[in-house]
Amino acid sequence: MIAREVALVGGATTAFGVRPATWAELAQEVGAALFRAVPNLRTEDVDSLFVGAAEPERFAFQSHVAPFAAEQMGLRPHRIVQRTELACASGQSAIRSAYAAIAAGLSDVAVAVGVEKMNLPSMAEANTSMVCVMDRAWDGPGGATAPPFFAMVAQRHMLEHGTTDDQLAAVSEKNHRFANSNPNAQFYAKTFPRAKLKGLPLVAPPLRLGDCSSMTDGAAAVVLVAADRARQYTDAPVWVRGTGQYSDFHNLAHAGSLSEWPGLTLAAREAFRSAGIGPKDLDFAEIHDCFSISEIVEYEAFGFCGPGEGGAFVEDGRSDLGGDVVVNPRGGLLGCGHPLGATGIAQAVEVFDQCARRVPPARQVPDPEWALVHNLSGSANVHSVMIYQGGGPA
Amino acid sequence: MSVAAKPRRGPGPDVPTAAAPLEKPADEHPREKRPFLLDFFPLESANETRLSRFFDQLREGRLSTTRCRRDGDLQWPPRVACPRCHAEDLEWIDLPEHGRIYAFSAVLGAAPLGMEGDVPYAVGLVDLDGAPLRLFGRIDGKPWSELAIGARVAVEPYDVGDGRVFYRFRALD
Repeated sequence: MIAREVALVGGATTAFGVRPATWAELAQEVGAALFRAVPNLRTEDVDSLFVGAAEPERFAFQSHVAPFAAEQMGLRPHRIVQRTELACASGQSAIRSAYAAIAAGLSDVAVAVGVEKMNLPSMAEANTSMVCVMDRAWDGPGGATAPPFFAMVAQRHMLEHGTTDDQLAAVSEKNHRFANSNPNAQFYAKTFPRAKLKGLPLVAPPLRLGDCSSMTDGAAAVVLVAADRARQYTDAPVWVRGTGQYSDFHNLAHAGSLSEWPGLTLAAREAFRSAGIGPKDLDFAEIHDCFSISEIVEYEAFGFCGPGEGGAFVEDGRSDLGGDVVVNPRGGLLGCGHPLGATGIAQAVEVFDQCARRVPPARQVPDPEWALVHNLSGSANVHSVMIYQGGGPA
Repeated sequence: MSVAAKPRRGPGPDVPTAAAPLEKPADEHPREKRPFLLDFFPLESANETRLSRFFDQLREGRLSTTRCRRDGDLQWPPRVACPRCHAEDLEWIDLPEHGRIYAFSAVLGAAPLGMEGDVPYAVGLVDLDGAPLRLFGRIDGKPWSELAIGARVAVEPYDVGDGRVFYRFRALD
């Protein structure tokens, strides 16, 4: 069977942040925003719904969220309705599943939505839920949460490659600056110059507060369609050109060197191969900066620079506007916040909006065509990559 | 001590599995009993897990794991089936009692339930002496700011406080 071409034809996000809103209300909000963003979309067009949600059982005490989300969004999908869970990559997992269904001919018009409600009355309970992403019974008793894991990555990268606190801060400064042109970002209108970032409290040494993405409430949704339906919804479809994924390890005993992520190298290689392009062809990339150090390790794995050169890459402005590849123009997880299931979908919304040239000039990538989206999940256990092409003929 | 130097103990009937009283220190931060879904510590008894022997041996002061009798695969955490050859014929072996820090950090805030009172606490990945295993765990005994990559630690079983036991590392001089 020959796979069908699949187009991204629009999307929307809610405001991200500490929201006085429930999981269900976020799903309703994003449904309303999606139908505003894609005016030609009718509810009866949507044959399938994929719901990215990492921990609704823990954060919202709600299971069976696929029909729950469908009802909030006013949808009655009749081909495929399911939840996709891959921790921090649950949103991209929904998109990849929709892509697979459409490519295989099992769906023509699919919505991928991601919803996460993470801020609870008890943050200790929320932190407890984050430990469940790890090998809870074996790594949990040691107090394994995300910050100390990524802090150890930073420690090893600094030891082996001489990466500096300044270079970590450069990632956060860049992404927060982009977030200041994104009204939906959690840290919209808050400035974080490098000196301020370096004065914020340590969370898990050497990582400071500004090196860590936040606990965030938010939702995002996109519409993916078969090629012959694309023009019904937009004049500027963005095409899914490639994808790759690799599940490397789970228990922290198998994390390897920490300072390099071979699983990402493999996922990226497959994504580039299937798209028929290389890292130099990319105009921009939305990659998983759950922590500042993550973005640095990722530059290297994607081949934007050589091994160990990620710190210099950001410090020299090569991941900024005017550089080799614009990384995280949306504002990243650092600037936008990280509602686990919504993040991967919000990144795809940015890809569409960039290619449609509908983002503010302060973050508009010039001549956007090739874009990459990456999410890691857990302690960099799984890497998921998608490559999109916009701007070309439909 | 290395893995090879330690006599192996197969799961034969001659090996006692009843828990001896733990002489190791109790948790420095005693925990209240939590509902199962808010509690990290594994279920340890023989009617809850096929790996209860791990916890029984830990109570005796021995950190152990499983190794495949067919292909020799050394596992962490202990398992009931080999991930490499899928044999279910595994043996228990004791692990070294010491190691060196490969990487470490500390939790200075945002701790999970039951650990808020422990903050700040250090965690790390430790290369066990003479065994190809790098284990994650809490590192007690020194403030995080006095730890270093390469520093020596000892494996330390401890009483969780509700009849269960777990392991942590203790920084050595």
